[in-house]
Amino acid sequence: MMSTAQELHPAPTLEPGRTILELRGLEKRYPGTHALKPVDLAFKAGEIHAIVGENGAGKSTLIKLLTGVMPRTSGDVIWEGKPAALATPHEAMALGINAVHQEVVLCRHLTVAANMFLGEEDARFGILQQRAMVRQAQKIIDDLGFDLPAHVMLGDLTIGQQQLIAAARATVRGTKFLIFDEPTAYLTRKEADQLFTLIRRLKGEGVTIIYISHRMEEVFELADRVSVLRDGTLVGTRNIAETNDAELVKMMINRSIEQVYHKEHFTFGATIVEARNLSGKGFENVSMSVRAGEIVGLYGLIGAGRSEFVTTLYGRHRKSAGQILWEGKEVKVNSEHDAIRLGMALAPESRRDQGLCLNLPVGLNLNLPIYKRISSNLLISRAQEKAQADRQIADLRIKTPTRSALASSLSGGNQQKIVIGKWLAHGAKLFIFDEPTVGVDVGTKAEIYRLFGALLSKGAGIILISSYLPEVYELADTLHVFRRGKLVATHGFRTADHEEILTQALAEKQERPGGRI
Amino acid sequence: MSTEAIAAERPKRNYNALFGLTLLALLVLLWVILSVATPSFASANNISNLLRQGSMIAILAVGQTFVIITGGIDLSVGAVVGFATVVVAMLINAGTPVFLAILITLLVGVAIGMFHGFGIVKMGLPPFIITLATLTSLRGIGLLMTNGNSISINNDAFQTFSRSSFVGVPNLFWMVILVGIPAFIFLHHSRWGRYLFSVGSNAEASRLSGVNVQRTIYMAYTLSGLCAAFVGVLLASRIGIGNPTQAEGWELQAIASSVIGGTSLFGAVGSVHGPLLGAFILATINNGANLLNVNAFWQRIITGVLIIVIVYFDGLRRRGK
Repeated sequence: MMSTAQELHPAPTLEPGRTILELRGLEKRYPGTHALKPVDLAFKAGEIHAIVGENGAGKSTLIKLLTGVMPRTSGDVIWEGKPAALATPHEAMALGINAVHQEVVLCRHLTVAANMFLGEEDARFGILQQRAMVRQAQKIIDDLGFDLPAHVMLGDLTIGQQQLIAAARATVRGTKFLIFDEPTAYLTRKEADQLFTLIRRLKGEGVTIIYISHRMEEVFELADRVSVLRDGTLVGTRNIAETNDAELVKMMINRSIEQVYHKEHFTFGATIVEARNLSGKGFENVSMSVRAGEIVGLYGLIGAGRSEFVTTLYGRHRKSAGQILWEGKEVKVNSEHDAIRLGMALAPESRRDQGLCLNLPVGLNLNLPIYKRISSNLLISRAQEKAQADRQIADLRIKTPTRSALASSLSGGNQQKIVIGKWLAHGAKLFIFDEPTVGVDVGTKAEIYRLFGALLSKGAGIILISSYLPEVYELADTLHVFRRGKLVATHGFRTADHEEILTQALAEKQERPGGRI
Repeated sequence: MSTEAIAAERPKRNYNALFGLTLLALLVLLWVILSVATPSFASANNISNLLRQGSMIAILAVGQTFVIITGGIDLSVGAVVGFATVVVAMLINAGTPVFLAILITLLVGVAIGMFHGFGIVKMGLPPFIITLATLTSLRGIGLLMTNGNSISINNDAFQTFSRSSFVGVPNLFWMVILVGIPAFIFLHHSRWGRYLFSVGSNAEASRLSGVNVQRTIYMAYTLSGLCAAFVGVLLASRIGIGNPTQAEGWELQAIASSVIGGTSLFGAVGSVHGPLLGAFILATINNGANLLNVNAFWQRIITGVLIIVIVYFDGLRRRGK
């Protein structure tokens, strides 16, 4: 698929090495944080330039400055040889700078076509040319090789498909410089392949691509050059051919790659929870159990029924059949409340929609499950509220100026730490982590995995859901594979290879076998 | 969120306290200007009158704020006030002891609030719709009960209450304090207060964190209904009649007070002291405009402009942070 795309779109004649955008001493300070220390960097026209770095390393800040969302504190941006103010998003777009964000920022209640033409609708005498727009949009989508309809509501598509539409939208806007911020975080492998085809095609058309990702294999698959940010500083830029995973990880975190997947083995204790022939909306007839000291991994594509299964176990949704046994006894879990009382904790899939109260303080988010415990009768103990929040912030090394900073002001990885941290204060016997490392950098990932070990050593059990195979593969003691709402296979720790598991999850021959998934 | 937070909350505390102080400064400024501009403003009589005027909206605004913090709205409060005047008047005239009559009226307010909670939680109706429906139907029920007439309350003691003062301060204003202090403790120092904020911010996240979202919503509307019924009792005492068409438009004044006091209609932002100050700022403007012989029609326009200006500056301040 990749090679054909490149054949169709031969590289255009560009002066090689021409600089399209140059940063000179670009700097950003927020009250209390120096988010980006003076950065000098030149982007070449038509290159795919990856930017990697931990959470809070300054990647998001850089994007915001380049897209005019935030004003810079000092420094210059030189666009095609001339200084650019980049004071507003509009100015950036007018120059041809666009961004595709990690989480889709489009209108779910409009059609795909309406979203693609949002802001530059085709109208004749003030009347929208709806059918013409749908036709045009469909043509663009078909051209890109996405198998998606243009006339449906955007909200009816999966997150991954919406991401593809967002990318397609950016291509129709005379874009010369396109920034992708973790675009594959919510994509299946197939969707990611489609996106890569699109990116290569854009490169072929001379568009400069900035590709921000935590996934090293994507960086090596796509990029020409890679820049590493750490703590707001540009550590270095490398040609992709002259570097490797180990060097980049080391530049990012000063730590070697072997230390990331931190796996400790414990002797398993008694069974904590058992699902017997559990069915519900989105999954059917699932049986599995979790023992103390065990990580049970659930692997499958997004929409395979894994999240539905655990949220039903957690009482969020009603089961339609089957039994739940807690420590050997059958229990009724009719609400989240019941689940929490039994000793379950859920760190849900979407931080923004399910995990956090974004416009409330970090401290309130951390304490939310335990307010009952830190209240005496009527009143909250202010001292305990403070102490509990500060303890989690310190233990998990959550980067926040104070516990009263709003959760929305933190970077993705630090937000994820809040989602997990609130359950550490509460305590539980069964921890369910649904995609705990989506949009999280290598350093935070390693911290989260280390935390798993700490929980297991205290006799807890863990259900780990991931769409990222190496994660469940390296960590799970028992690995269940889900496909279309059914549990289709079960493996022990490293007893099957990646290809076999993938085939089971996809039920189609994998086009690209091998380690890099 | 509260004014006396702890050291580490410094940035936020300053900012909230500052807004509270700005409102207080605005109120004092208005009072100074009016004292200079009109001879009668600073008289004990007028100040008492002003406090009486502002008190009832202030209590409504507190209940309203609880609801708005959860991301909802309670349009019914004015109608509940009118309906409560009828209920309390009928009970008293029927010979029910005043204490019991008041208690029953308050329970009616609670029941109306529970009904709102039921409509939102169980029937899935938007708050705007269910409370709008109550607004219109409660007025209707009240009119049916009274045949469209006013009911004169034949109990002097009941009426004297709202006209009397205690240590120089009108009893009605004492009622604001009676409601305000528990409300402040509830919102800023109890876990239920935290839950109101968390539900308003993200109901799903709160639910998954073990917060009983349904109960929280019931609680907010019940408290709003209770405050409204209480104001109905106070109004009946003040005007000496029960009349279902009283308190027309008070829901909007309560919402305006709340918003002027810094409550965000998107939920998860608000306090107790803000709406109280907001209500007295509105009362001062109306009172001052009367004294200055400003056309009553202008008063409405001034209120509208004030809402825009204050909320605009509040928005600037938030963004500036």
